[in-house]
Amino acid sequence: MYDYIIIGAGIIGTTIARELSKYQVNILVLEKENDIANQQTTANSAIIHSGHDPKPGTLKARLCVRGNALYHTLEKELSIPLLKTGAFVVAHNPDEETLLHALEERAKINGVPETMILTGDKARQIEPNLTKHATMVLSLPTTMVTYPWEVAIAALENAIKNGAHFRKNSEVVKIQKNEDKFILTLKSGDTLETKHIISAAGIFSDEVAHMIEEHVSYQIQPRKGEYYVLDRKAVQLFSHVLYPLPTEKGKGVLIVPQVHGNILLGPTSTLVDTKEIASTTQVGMAQIKEDLKRLAETIPYELIIRSFAGVRASSSYDDFFIQESKEVKGFYHVAGIDSPGLTAAPAIAEYLVHEVIQIKNKPKEYFNPIRQKQKAFYSLSVDDRKRLIESDPRYGNIICKCEKITEAEIVSAIQGPTGVDTIKGIKKRARAGGGLCQGGYCESLVLKIIARETGKPLNSINYYAENTPILVQETKVKK
Amino acid sequence: MKTDIAIIGGGAAGLSAALSAYDQNLNILVIEREKTLGGILNQCIHNGFGLHVFKEELTGPEYASRFIQKFHEQNIQFKLHTTVLDIKKNQDFELSISSLESGMETIHAKAVILSSGCYERTRGSIQIPGERPKGIMPAGSAQRYLNMEGYLVGKRIFILGSGDIGLIMARRMTLEGAKVLGVAEIMPYSNGLTRNIVQCLDDFDIPLYLSHTVTDIRGKDVLEGITIQKVDETFKPIPGTEIQFEVDTLLLSIGLVPDISLFESLNIEKSAITKSAIVNQFYETNIEGLFVCGNALHVHDLVDWVTEESEKAGRCAKNYILHGASEHRMEVSVKPGKHIRYIVPQKIDFSRKDAPVELSFRTTKKMESGIFYVYQNGVLIKSKKAKYIAPAEMEHLLIKPEDFISNDPIELILEEVKS
Repeated sequence: MYDYIIIGAGIIGTTIARELSKYQVNILVLEKENDIANQQTTANSAIIHSGHDPKPGTLKARLCVRGNALYHTLEKELSIPLLKTGAFVVAHNPDEETLLHALEERAKINGVPETMILTGDKARQIEPNLTKHATMVLSLPTTMVTYPWEVAIAALENAIKNGAHFRKNSEVVKIQKNEDKFILTLKSGDTLETKHIISAAGIFSDEVAHMIEEHVSYQIQPRKGEYYVLDRKAVQLFSHVLYPLPTEKGKGVLIVPQVHGNILLGPTSTLVDTKEIASTTQVGMAQIKEDLKRLAETIPYELIIRSFAGVRASSSYDDFFIQESKEVKGFYHVAGIDSPGLTAAPAIAEYLVHEVIQIKNKPKEYFNPIRQKQKAFYSLSVDDRKRLIESDPRYGNIICKCEKITEAEIVSAIQGPTGVDTIKGIKKRARAGGGLCQGGYCESLVLKIIARETGKPLNSINYYAENTPILVQETKVKK
Repeated sequence: MKTDIAIIGGGAAGLSAALSAYDQNLNILVIEREKTLGGILNQCIHNGFGLHVFKEELTGPEYASRFIQKFHEQNIQFKLHTTVLDIKKNQDFELSISSLESGMETIHAKAVILSSGCYERTRGSIQIPGERPKGIMPAGSAQRYLNMEGYLVGKRIFILGSGDIGLIMARRMTLEGAKVLGVAEIMPYSNGLTRNIVQCLDDFDIPLYLSHTVTDIRGKDVLEGITIQKVDETFKPIPGTEIQFEVDTLLLSIGLVPDISLFESLNIEKSAITKSAIVNQFYETNIEGLFVCGNALHVHDLVDWVTEESEKAGRCAKNYILHGASEHRMEVSVKPGKHIRYIVPQKIDFSRKDAPVELSFRTTKKMESGIFYVYQNGVLIKSKKAKYIAPAEMEHLLIKPEDFISNDPIELILEEVKS
């Protein structure tokens, strides 16, 4: 019997797990996919917003500003990357300048610190590739960029270290309430018992809610966003996150410097019927190119190395929906977490545990907030690299040539607390295959290392999901 | 460790460069990231290599082995399973290298030949729309899995791009029992060698869809199907021309790009077209003592041309070490004119005019017959007739020292000859 079962191991479920693991409770995190951070957390802008945009008085406004501040703590405790870029919101004419002043007013009401209005010329001194049509910008110095799936992985690793349990490939198909306990049935047929359920199921949260509530008070309205990634050769081109003025559809198409030197362009924003079809389109690419003319002078589109699309779990409710079920006590909704969900995540966890659940269990005496991570080999000085190789010669074996990722880093991704045995899982953790050739060279090497470390045959190693082997048939063998 | 010439990459280019740079008075070191010499030739088990260099048809590994054997006979030094992390230039070149066996070391070299080959363009680089399932991979990766590891990556295959690797893989996967449903090429002509179209597609009844491209990819986790569409002259898909294919694999043969990631820490002048260094007729970059050759310089259609080019680059590096640099480079440009896409070398250094200059270049138009003209100061100094000219096939032209009438830039053009 668990005290809390958390459904969903995205950025929300994992940060909640970590917050709960500070207390003397028995926690299990369930993930239907075969890895952490697989839906919204894997495909978003990676921005830690300042909190300038949400409507004052909403949970979004409050938890965004609080979350932004908490990321500085997470950076120290969980060794997550945090790029302190700051951001500019760009205006092009007197009408937009009026809106920009209103936006600054809103930011101040929300409690965003250090905001400032700059002239277009001043902004271009700082950001030379900003469009020459910009007449004024709102500077938001507290805007930052992180590496979302690493935050989720780090939070869950730390929760596991502090006693939480984790099961992947565990889709919940049925929930029953029996007196004061819940019985969850998994797709595999296994059943689990818990006193409380926290649903952090993202785009599927309404479906999970329907398993236990008669009337679910919100509906997920999936909204697709397409993104394009420039190779890190473009690294010096932009130092700030660049936003257009927000509209009712969202924050618009952005330019976002990434922590490893890439530049992210996007997202588009279109309502979609299905939750899982995350496809990029020619229309999306064209729209991004068109919209970005209003932000930048030049964008080297020939440096695009990758495109992807994600589906945001927008909901019919006008704010984050973080409440205990009115029908079923002990079932907590954490739903409708679209932007600024990544930013707000640690604050959502705090809010849920302290203000909604109002946890009464005692804190753990020996909670360890620290998750250590070996710094990437490529980022170290020559002396530090040599020291690492002395400790483990596998650091000398470069597997991913583009990003200079070593065998030791890949092995550690396989063997870590949330260890994986898939090509994309390794890319998420160690970044092998994340560079210019997109794994064209190193994928076969990574595949062999996974097979060796897990003792599995080569043709059982999956690209990502279950039953997605890279190698489908051995040749030159007797059948 | 100190050496006279460090050669990065022990494939076709690196081996040829090492053999021609060989001199009893010189130290040469070849650095290869794989556990064997030979580079990409090792996975090219089909034949067709060596027709120009050896006047016979060899497989890739056979072609490589001829050079590897000579290489070992000369006792040239080499390091296998070793990656060059970066190159810095101070007095000498400093190469930071790393391996499982020996950890990190620094190599000091007086000259460097970069012969690190190329990499395949990916889905991201041409932004194919659609979902992102597994089953989409560069043709060369599929070739490596099949020929080196012994596994097929799929059973029902479609190939985007008619580059040579894609064509070779169409035949290879068919022979291994997979069904290849077709090849789509966005250009109105094939990007592969004519002999490969005939021997790899026509002979196996595999359709080639010219002026077509992939416009949708379906499948959440596993590839389920693709859509191809005809494109107009501006490469925009034409509505109503969609054809669907149910496939589990989409191989990409959409071009190769010189691998110049090691240029990052050096201030090298680059060409926007070849995506590699600008070199003079000695294959030397704007950085004295740094030579580039093979597919790291520009993508070749035949390995034979890689060998010939790299032999020259090796000799030039040797001359540089033995006789020193030219005191004052007098570099002028070699300009690609009508119907010419690019030319290597991009520059001629007229301070050393003793040897003929070989131009290697690609055209922009397919034609039955044409004449190449080289002009200097508006005067025709050289011409050459050619048949069956195609953008996919590299052309060559030799200019002798006495052909030049001045030290001014030259221009190369192609005129079509209609029969």
